[in-house]
Amino acid sequence: MRRNFFLLPLILFLAAGCATEPPHQNHFSRPANLFPPNAFITQRALFSARGMQFALNGYLAMSETGGKRLVVTENFGQVIADLLIKPDGKVFVMQSSRMFPARYIRRLVAADVECVFGGAPKLDCPVTMLDTNHFAIDRGGYKLDLRILEIKPGAQPAGLFDETKAPKP
Amino acid sequence: MKKHTQNFLLAAAFAAFSAVAEPTLQTVADPRPLLDALQHKMASVGTVYLEFTQERELKLFSEPLKSEGVMLIERPDKIRWETTAPYQTILLGDQKSVAQFESNDGKWEKLKLGFPQLLQRVMQQMSAMNQGQLDTLTNEFSVSLATNSETVVTMTPKDKNVRSMMSSFEIHMEPDFSATREVVLNEPNGDLTRIVFHNEKRGVPFPAGAFDQAKPLEIAAVQTVVNHAP
Repeated sequence: MRRNFFLLPLILFLAAGCATEPPHQNHFSRPANLFPPNAFITQRALFSARGMQFALNGYLAMSETGGKRLVVTENFGQVIADLLIKPDGKVFVMQSSRMFPARYIRRLVAADVECVFGGAPKLDCPVTMLDTNHFAIDRGGYKLDLRILEIKPGAQPAGLFDETKAPKP
Repeated sequence: MKKHTQNFLLAAAFAAFSAVAEPTLQTVADPRPLLDALQHKMASVGTVYLEFTQERELKLFSEPLKSEGVMLIERPDKIRWETTAPYQTILLGDQKSVAQFESNDGKWEKLKLGFPQLLQRVMQQMSAMNQGQLDTLTNEFSVSLATNSETVVTMTPKDKNVRSMMSSFEIHMEPDFSATREVVLNEPNGDLTRIVFHNEKRGVPFPAGAFDQAKPLEIAAVQTVVNHAP
């Protein structure tokens, strides 16, 4: 009992300290209207994980009504990830690979897309905007250095945002 | 992914040491004599400089994904595959090692490559091929040949796992194998990659550093030498 009595101030002190600490969440906010709501965006990325680096290409079709469709390819064009994020946030993995398994795409790639290109970036976005066309994502387990190469504004084909039309292997 | 990349580079390199074209083709019943002639021609080529445009046609997208660049090959085993637009990256390889550089705000950054043995194997295959040892190819591919106003070598992977990623690749050449025009990699789902070569130069000297895996010479400097070669 006596011991608990002495511990109480310490607990209160620590609790107060915690309350005044800034939240350990990563909030990323980028300028509004950086990306058109309807566009085709070509990207080049350097993906670093476990001491290895992989150069990747990303092709993102964005539709205000359809959602976001991202296709990721490796150096020579083979598709290693393909995902669709509907406007309500539902994620559909259209194609996965050994490098990017479906669970990884669903959990992390989708989050990264929403962090950089989403209309309302979420709290958990460890993103740094180095330039208006250059972003760095650091999730501890991996880093992504992302550059926007080209933005083609305009409506995208509706079929891109149909989750029932997954490419056949 | 590994096999795909390997076959891609192999096709590109193979094509670079041969030649390309188009129209109504007639399949050659016995391709061996023509393949022998092709090998003979390849064996006499020491260096090749090529510029390329690459179109990745995915059924998903209405327009092809385009890139362009330069390829250098020097016997017996050196290759440089450089993409110059819409981004800049350099892949270098020889019998012993491979390297990749990525442009970072105008400065080249050497990547800590994952799975470097993949590209290394490609170089070994290329070396064997350039010495006329097509056996390594026919072990892994069924080879057919059709010709008319162009000659097309079609290579179909024997391994069904490889075929699940790449159904075939075609090397389109001039009938006399004097120049490579185009390489097409076909995928089972109808997607394809088309690499169109142009400004091919054979037997040109490459400056020191063109294949340096620590600090590759800028491509502009290479092109200055190539363009002034006799």
